[in-house]
Amino acid sequence: MGGQREKDGAGDAALLRAVAAGDPAAMADLYDRHAGWLHARLTRRCADPEVVREVLQDTFVTVWRSAAGHRGEEAGGWLWTIAARRLVDARRAQERAARVAGPPLEPEPHGGYEPAASAEDRVLAGLEYGDVGAALDRISPELREVLRATVVDGLSTREAARLLGIPEGTVKSRARRARAELRTALGHLNPSPLGGMA
Amino acid sequence: MSNGNARTWHASDGLIARYADGSLPEPDAWSLEKHLEGCAGCAARVSRAVHGTAAGAVLAQVRESVLAAAPPVLKQVAPEAPPAPAPPRLARLLWAVGPAVRGAWLPAVLLVAVGAMALGYGGGFPDARALLLAIAPVVPVAGVALSYGPHADPLYEVVAATPAGGLRLALTRTAAVLGVSLPLLTVAGLLLPASGAPAAAAWLLPGLALTLGSLALASFVGCRTASGVTAGGWLCAVLAPVSAAPADGAGARLAEQLSRCLDGTGTQGAWAAAAALSAALLVARRPAYDRLIRS
Repeated sequence: MGGQREKDGAGDAALLRAVAAGDPAAMADLYDRHAGWLHARLTRRCADPEVVREVLQDTFVTVWRSAAGHRGEEAGGWLWTIAARRLVDARRAQERAARVAGPPLEPEPHGGYEPAASAEDRVLAGLEYGDVGAALDRISPELREVLRATVVDGLSTREAARLLGIPEGTVKSRARRARAELRTALGHLNPSPLGGMA
Repeated sequence: MSNGNARTWHASDGLIARYADGSLPEPDAWSLEKHLEGCAGCAARVSRAVHGTAAGAVLAQVRESVLAAAPPVLKQVAPEAPPAPAPPRLARLLWAVGPAVRGAWLPAVLLVAVGAMALGYGGGFPDARALLLAIAPVVPVAGVALSYGPHADPLYEVVAATPAGGLRLALTRTAAVLGVSLPLLTVAGLLLPASGAPAAAAWLLPGLALTLGSLALASFVGCRTASGVTAGGWLCAVLAPVSAAPADGAGARLAEQLSRCLDGTGTQGAWAAAAALSAALLVARRPAYDRLIRS
């Protein structure tokens, strides 16, 4: 299966090269491989199916233009980065349409938003999956939302704030609270640092 | 899936089915989502599963749109790049240099030259050269009026904002106008019988002076008005005594008046001085060309 995965990964890179050269068959293949899960993942983050559809379409239209910029990283992660940014943009546009006279949003400084390994990352990476899963179930939904945007989706604080429609300060404070609650919940689940949940 | 190490497991069919229909709880979904970013095989399996759900119709529609949005350059560049190269630089330059030269003005210049020849030889009109000399200085002035300014150039506002706009462009276009009209009208004048009129080249300095004067004046009132003033002034000066003369003596009066205006070192020197003065004024008024000139 590992060999199969390698082959698929290489296949994605080759497909992106062909897409960069304008090959529609390669784009169709890439779309069939990735559009489904991107759609499902976007649907979990946005309740409006029309927005999901637009974001998905924007994502692949962007791929036409920026496939040449793909530098051999995992195609799935690369696609999701585009889709997540598009989703943030769509939310921003919605918000702008909703409140015409809002405070001006400063332009997003592109590049360099690679999030450093946060405390949440370390928590997620360092503990047994089942424990974290159970602990995550215990924290409140709005804290989970913040964790998902920053940790799972790799968004910056500012992007997460736009996606969730809350101020940046709230994102930061909720991330702090989520970490604290996660720690508490893990303590309840797993009193001994070495013992695991059954 | 028993642990969080994304590289050692692949999603089970049950997990994929629950993710595809949206019923998978959040923490499990996060884990799967992270895994899909790096595992093309599982990504393809999830995508197939999602195709089978209600989202399949939307996915098919978006697929059409995405494929229709293929970058047009790549479709066109291959077949059309060789047959549609940019026109050579010289051709573009010549095209851009003179709105007047490619407009109605060029036929008008040709008409003046050919008309003078026709009158002089075909119509037996003896004073054709005098008439040509009276009209010739007005021709480049009219060209200037048609070369620069909001009424002459649909892209005037854009052009005026470019570094090459302003006085530099006005002078370039004036040079194009002069390059066409000077040789054409002088040669036409040379070919006509003299019959008392000044030499064929005598109009060159007045023409230059009037052209530069128009450009200098244009910095105050705009090209069209300035050209009207200078050309009108010249025509009045030359033709006014003629209109007062009896009909049969008109040609002679015109030649006489032209001699007064053109002949002699002093007169030509005065025209040269006027041209130099206009050029100096134009240089001094150069900043006015960097602003938008009124019509």
